[in-house]
Amino acid sequence: MKLPLKWLKDHVQYNVSHQEFATRMLLRGFEVAEIIPEMKATGVFVCTIDDIEQHPNAERLRVCSVDVGRRDENGEKKNITIVTNAQNVKAGDQVPVALDGAVLADGMEIHPTKMRGVVSDGMFCGGAELGIGDAEYEGAGADSVLVLNEKHENGEPIERALELDDVIFDIELTPNRTDCQSILGLCREAASALGQRMAEPEIKPVEGVGDASEYAGVTVLNETLCPRYLARVVTDLKIEPSPKWMQLRLKLAGLRPINNIVDITNFVLLEYGHPMHAFDLACIKDGQIVVRNAHDKEIVTTLDGKEREMSADMLLIADPAKGVGIAGVMGGLNSEITEKTKVTLFESAVFLPENIRHTTRRLRHSTDSSARFTKGVEAVNAEKAIARAIELVEQLGAGRVVGGLIDVCAKKPAERTVYADIAHVNRILNTELSGETMAELLSSINVPARVEGDKLKIEVPHFRVDIESGLETDWDIAEEVGRLYGYDNIAPTLMNGDTFQGRLGASFAREDEIKDLMTAMGFMELYNYNFTSPQEYDALLLDENDEKRRTVRLRNPFGEDQSLMRTTLVGGILRTLRLNANRKTGHGRFFELGNVHFDNNDDLPEERRMLGIACTGAGESFYTLKGVIEQLFAALGAKELRFERGGGEYLHPGQKAVILLEGERVGELGGVHPRVRRSFELNAPAYIAEIDFFKLLSHLASERKFRPLPKFPIVPRDLAIVVDEKTEAQQITDAIAAAKTAVTVENVRVFDVFYPKEPGEKGIPEGKKSMAFRFELRSEDHTLNDEEINRTVNQILKALKFRLDAELRS
Amino acid sequence: MLEELAKIREEALKKLEKVQSEAELTELNVNILGRNGALTGILRGMASLAADERAKLGKEANIVKQELASMFEGAKARMEERAEELRIRAETIDVTLPGVTDIPFGKLSPLTVVYRQIRDALIGLGFTTFEGPEVEYDDYNFTKLNLPLNHPARDMQDTFYVNDRVLLRTHTSPCEARALMTLEPPFRVVIPGRVFRVDEPDASHSPVFMQMEGLVVDKHLTFADLKGTIDTFVKAVFGENVRSRLRPSYFPFTEPSAEVDISCTICGGKGCSSCKGTGWMEIMGCGMTNPHEIENCGLDPHEWNAFAFGVGVDRVACLKYGINDIRLLYEGDARFLRQL
Repeated sequence: MKLPLKWLKDHVQYNVSHQEFATRMLLRGFEVAEIIPEMKATGVFVCTIDDIEQHPNAERLRVCSVDVGRRDENGEKKNITIVTNAQNVKAGDQVPVALDGAVLADGMEIHPTKMRGVVSDGMFCGGAELGIGDAEYEGAGADSVLVLNEKHENGEPIERALELDDVIFDIELTPNRTDCQSILGLCREAASALGQRMAEPEIKPVEGVGDASEYAGVTVLNETLCPRYLARVVTDLKIEPSPKWMQLRLKLAGLRPINNIVDITNFVLLEYGHPMHAFDLACIKDGQIVVRNAHDKEIVTTLDGKEREMSADMLLIADPAKGVGIAGVMGGLNSEITEKTKVTLFESAVFLPENIRHTTRRLRHSTDSSARFTKGVEAVNAEKAIARAIELVEQLGAGRVVGGLIDVCAKKPAERTVYADIAHVNRILNTELSGETMAELLSSINVPARVEGDKLKIEVPHFRVDIESGLETDWDIAEEVGRLYGYDNIAPTLMNGDTFQGRLGASFAREDEIKDLMTAMGFMELYNYNFTSPQEYDALLLDENDEKRRTVRLRNPFGEDQSLMRTTLVGGILRTLRLNANRKTGHGRFFELGNVHFDNNDDLPEERRMLGIACTGAGESFYTLKGVIEQLFAALGAKELRFERGGGEYLHPGQKAVILLEGERVGELGGVHPRVRRSFELNAPAYIAEIDFFKLLSHLASERKFRPLPKFPIVPRDLAIVVDEKTEAQQITDAIAAAKTAVTVENVRVFDVFYPKEPGEKGIPEGKKSMAFRFELRSEDHTLNDEEINRTVNQILKALKFRLDAELRS
Repeated sequence: MLEELAKIREEALKKLEKVQSEAELTELNVNILGRNGALTGILRGMASLAADERAKLGKEANIVKQELASMFEGAKARMEERAEELRIRAETIDVTLPGVTDIPFGKLSPLTVVYRQIRDALIGLGFTTFEGPEVEYDDYNFTKLNLPLNHPARDMQDTFYVNDRVLLRTHTSPCEARALMTLEPPFRVVIPGRVFRVDEPDASHSPVFMQMEGLVVDKHLTFADLKGTIDTFVKAVFGENVRSRLRPSYFPFTEPSAEVDISCTICGGKGCSSCKGTGWMEIMGCGMTNPHEIENCGLDPHEWNAFAFGVGVDRVACLKYGINDIRLLYEGDARFLRQL
């Protein structure tokens, strides 16, 4: 909301700096977003043209000797030179001149320039360069250099000379303060902030002649959507531009002057914050206004010339034959005020905010009026607004006011009184203010209050709809009292009462642990957006029935490509890999711990937290990623980790495995399927794993126990065996684990697999391969002797022979 | 034989002077003190001597033996020292060549770093972690928080909807309702999480961002307690020298409500371009929990009161690290992550 200082000065004594004013308003909850100077141009000064000569080299240019008030040390005039093509200036004229460094209204910067061989020190300005018109200064509307009408000091800044050196405060409003969508509302707060109290303006009632009912009638068919409709009639209109003072106010507040009648409604909109409308009554059939729901697909052409299609849930202002305006949004073109208008009907109504909000959204059209209706207007103010408009009609001599106020009101607004508990207000704020002090504070913003026993009796003014009658009253009043007393004046305290033991929840602690372990292993952390596109699931080659297609769809996404909530972290991570490859960041290890959502039949979706891990680049393989998972799980204390062939369709069919803990599947890993890689434009092989965080958590040892370090030496042994070529490493580990051995066998790891290039190579028969593995033998209580070692090795070989038909490679 | 002994000594010392390498020294040692060495030969030959002569010679021979042994030892040590010196000299390298950085280096997102900092500060003040779903009921996100359907303030937060009842939470506050309804008061919780708003991404907006919320429920909480808590929290997160101020604002779920400003972290409060010359930066919203919310969640607002505050983790991260584009936090560019 724009508050022009000129307008503010009508109601309060302004005696502080703009910055100080802005700070005081801020500390009362009104943030001044911008302090806008009235005149946009800067660096322009008053000057007198002492002498004019023809330019030696240009027919259309003249060279002027100009006095901008500069004097040398002897007090002699030090004129500057201005080259101009203006024809309307003569010697002796006072005009505005933009000097070096000036910035004109359109943003153009002025510097001395050589014009056909003569240096011009600046430029004469007209209204356009200054950003003003006739409303601001007589003659400024002309398309020529502005010749000042009265005498000013040479060198005086032009904004001061033209009395346009005030500012406009652009103030941000919180949605509860609907009353401050008006100059008067803001002035009330400003007055209090400046230590004053604004006198509420009195509107002089205009009786008028005759009775409005002779000219017009109003029928409201939907009282829910239109709780009050007020109207007055003015005849014998003289449509003309509104007076300069009114035009200037409108322009300062950001509205364009149109004609006296429309300007009056806009002036009242600004002053009282209540939107009004003026109809050409001659265009209203039988003078009868009907407020009704629109018909489906009913077309209304609004003032801006656009055809708008209505629906049955929208409210229409109509006459018996046709729509003449969209309630709360914009009037109809067919009943617009024109130069020919002789009789007008002023409308001042209250419409249901949610209905107007709905209409503006559906029509994708909002206006200054709809913005206010959407936030909420009130019935008493509607009455004041129309009275003020009529007062202005009279004041401007715009027409003949007809007597009688048409007032269709479902429920007359009642006076409200609330009681606040003084002690409770003090308790909320931790203050010790007397009831009288509180009443004084409230009175400064024209909220009358007085002490009655231990209560504060508050007569809630009609404009303060935000002060609630009921449960919230004490808190509402505490907020007002606190705000006016100053939050800064309330000393901070430490909470008393019980002490609390702060705690980091178990799953939060595990998240920390996982993230720290992942970064220790060289992975960078990602936060990807949760939105994804339906195509992504095709790109991931997911089967039509894949669970990951059970997505949650947004009703109002940015676009189709961001319309789904992700069910997997894979897509986002692959996109990150591509981004880093394209930008050659030199890093290929990334992880994300984030939520995914599965549709749950319109109820809250099933939320799962996933850990996604990916790597790509030199040296990375299925086994490096697997190694990362093994180390991560070991560090977390995961129980009974196993890998089995299997996993999602997006993984390489020959390089994928599911991850099991204590037999439960907690995730999967693998190479990214080459076709998926193509879709995501990844050139290098990439490896990815996705693990269900909460499933993982359910298989972690809750307590870690120390196991004494081995006291006796560990005996490592390597063996190479010949097995069927389909045999996998896990089978060897399982077979050894199942073997009954005399001593402990640990850390079985296959370190080499050899496939003969042709049958019989190195003595390996067809259909077989060689696998070399290492294991460690040890005893808890003694050093192993050769006999024990050999016996164990033989037991292992026997088990391998029995289970895998394995032969020791000779 | 004594002369012979003297001669051996003479010669040994002469040869020792000429010794160049450790091998020559070993040879000399063997030739004189070794099993078949010259001195050993003398000692061995003593058996044929008379007892007194034998004693005299033996004494003399041992002195020579010890003298030579110690000299050989000394020479050896010197030689070794010299050899090591040479070796070390040969191992001198160019220390200004670049280091080896083959080991991939991991990094936490600045969001995680800031989240932990805020969280840990609050745990220090007696808060316990709490969380709730990202996709929420409208009822928890709005209605229970004193934002009934058609409340104008719903417009403050543009919402992604799934259906009429379900939406993407626009703040972490629905967890306030969940905490009020499930935890036994009094309690203090800190609630981190992702939130969503219909904001087209640009340098200062992201449709997904991280918020953290603190909620304190007790019997005699005051606005002054809220101020004190905020002040402690701000100092813990931004540093002891950072001041905070509360100024009136509006949130439907708090009353009185306030916006928290901190003294500008760039200029320290003198006024600069980052704080638009005001010396203050807006950092979060807070207030005394609205009695309607407390009642909607099943507690008696005349018995229990509460205060709450919510801070944007992204905003704090951008302020702390001077990040000028919030989208960088969600892009995953390793060059960005490596820096912070």
